[in-house]
Amino acid sequence: MLDVAFRLLFFSRAKLAITVAGVAFAVTLVMVQVGLFRGLLSNATVTIEQADADVWITSHNTPNVDFPQYFPDTYVDRVRSVPGVARADNLLVGYTQVQLPTGAQEMLIVYGIDHPETWRLPWKLQEGTADELRGGHFMVLDASAARRFGPFALGEHRELLGQRFEVVGKSEDALSFTTVPLAFMSFQKAQDLQPFVFRNRTAYVLVKLRSDADRAEVTAQLRRALPYSDVYLREDWATKTRDYWVVSTGLGLNTGLTVFLGVLVGITVVAQTLYMSTLDYIKEFGTLKAMGAENAHIYKVVGGQGLFAALFGYVLAIPPTLALRALARLASLHLDISATFALSVLAGTVVLCLGASALTFRRIAHIDPALVFRG
Amino acid sequence: MSPPDVVMEAREVTKTFSEGREAVQVLAGASLALRRGEVVTLEGPSGSGKSTLLCILGCLLTPTSGSVRIGENEVSPATDLARLRREHIGFVFQQFNLLPALSALDNVALALRLRGLSRESARRAAAPRLEAVGLGDRAGFLPRDLSGGQKQRVAIARAMVGSPPVILADEPTANLDAASADAVLTMFAGLARDAASALLIVTHDPKVRRIADRTLVLDAGRCG
Repeated sequence: MLDVAFRLLFFSRAKLAITVAGVAFAVTLVMVQVGLFRGLLSNATVTIEQADADVWITSHNTPNVDFPQYFPDTYVDRVRSVPGVARADNLLVGYTQVQLPTGAQEMLIVYGIDHPETWRLPWKLQEGTADELRGGHFMVLDASAARRFGPFALGEHRELLGQRFEVVGKSEDALSFTTVPLAFMSFQKAQDLQPFVFRNRTAYVLVKLRSDADRAEVTAQLRRALPYSDVYLREDWATKTRDYWVVSTGLGLNTGLTVFLGVLVGITVVAQTLYMSTLDYIKEFGTLKAMGAENAHIYKVVGGQGLFAALFGYVLAIPPTLALRALARLASLHLDISATFALSVLAGTVVLCLGASALTFRRIAHIDPALVFRG
Repeated sequence: MSPPDVVMEAREVTKTFSEGREAVQVLAGASLALRRGEVVTLEGPSGSGKSTLLCILGCLLTPTSGSVRIGENEVSPATDLARLRREHIGFVFQQFNLLPALSALDNVALALRLRGLSRESARRAAAPRLEAVGLGDRAGFLPRDLSGGQKQRVAIARAMVGSPPVILADEPTANLDAASADAVLTMFAGLARDAASALLIVTHDPKVRRIADRTLVLDAGRCG
């Protein structure tokens, strides 16, 4: 009966257009909002997920990776002495100001670390190398900085709090939740940027465990060794960071509401047009019943219309979603639309449209086939 | 026992409708029998209960009392009425009631698809029926592109495609001009006789009698 559904749906072009447009609007809204949400969350945890560290040690109650709190950099020695630890290094994270050639100042987040290749900080380079960072006033600047700071090239200098740094590398996708770009430099140079704040301090200790280490046992020992610090496995630290942005900023609620409204609009449009369409065809459905059709036959026709509305609406939503993704990229916003997410939206759209069509089932069940003899 | 060629029989059928506190008796013991290959017209003034009787015979309405038998099936509350209609009865309506989005061929095939045939099998089986009503060259036409007479021919092909033993027609020529009505009726009666289906036509039009083997008149809720 799917072909009958298809033909009935296409027979009334105006209703088809309204239905499909409603679905497409809802799908685009959900894709863009949730994609943006996922993109921001992915920014928020990108350094945690990309850095090659099994364990992150932070000061007590540090809320997320972008809001560091500082503790003595000598703690790293205690960490190194714990059995099961293969390697540990300090990571200094701090906000700083960049003096632009125009005279303006912009925010920048500095990641100060030694052995950047070992820790994969930065993890992706468009140009240059992180090898030179240890040699002096050098930094790797993320490519996303170009939008805020203007174009820059390797070999150029930028002034950070009165100190000139040569750009020796250009990283990619290294930006914070708030899309402030990241710069990578040596741990020492990062401390020297603000000696009154950062001298002998660190924000995190990154830990790599031995391959044969018992993760639970080592983290328990680390907690005992550092009673004034928090010790997180990588995935736990990422979750804590993510939860901070989702819960404390209301971002989760905002996205949830938008998705709810999108879904509501989609369901309402589909349910209303399918219901009107069912009323339009009530005589024909009555005829089918008189001819011996079961309710299930007609449910399949109406359900099929819901299915096609979902599929066409979804396909129609793809171009505007891609266009909005390109537009967002210009603003350094990343719409994270993975294949799994896209398929989930498709499945959700189909389920909701089938649900919307099911709202007409009650009306169909009450169609009296005898109406066909009533003129 | 009914004679073996009786394909539908109604015995002492009554039907009473409630209108507020009043009970209106529409049928008061109507009885009739339809034989294989027989064309019967059912006449009567407006409000005489023709449509009600047709609905009861078509298993679309249950009688207040009395009984209906279709072939070997005694209709009862336990009967699967939809299946009975699918397999034993064809319907032709005054207003054609074709699905507007389906071609003539697909409208005819739909009756077979309700019986579980695939679309292709149903279309193959429906094509000769459409040929038989003279619309083989209009198979792909939508109802909106057909004349009234052609639509009714499609409806007749749809009613007959499954070779049901009984065909019930409600004023099948009421919306047709005189020439079309004449042609459609002649063809309809001929096809029903060829297929050995009993054809009951409810009509106001006395001219329809000319194609009938016999005529029943519904008066005071009884068939005479």
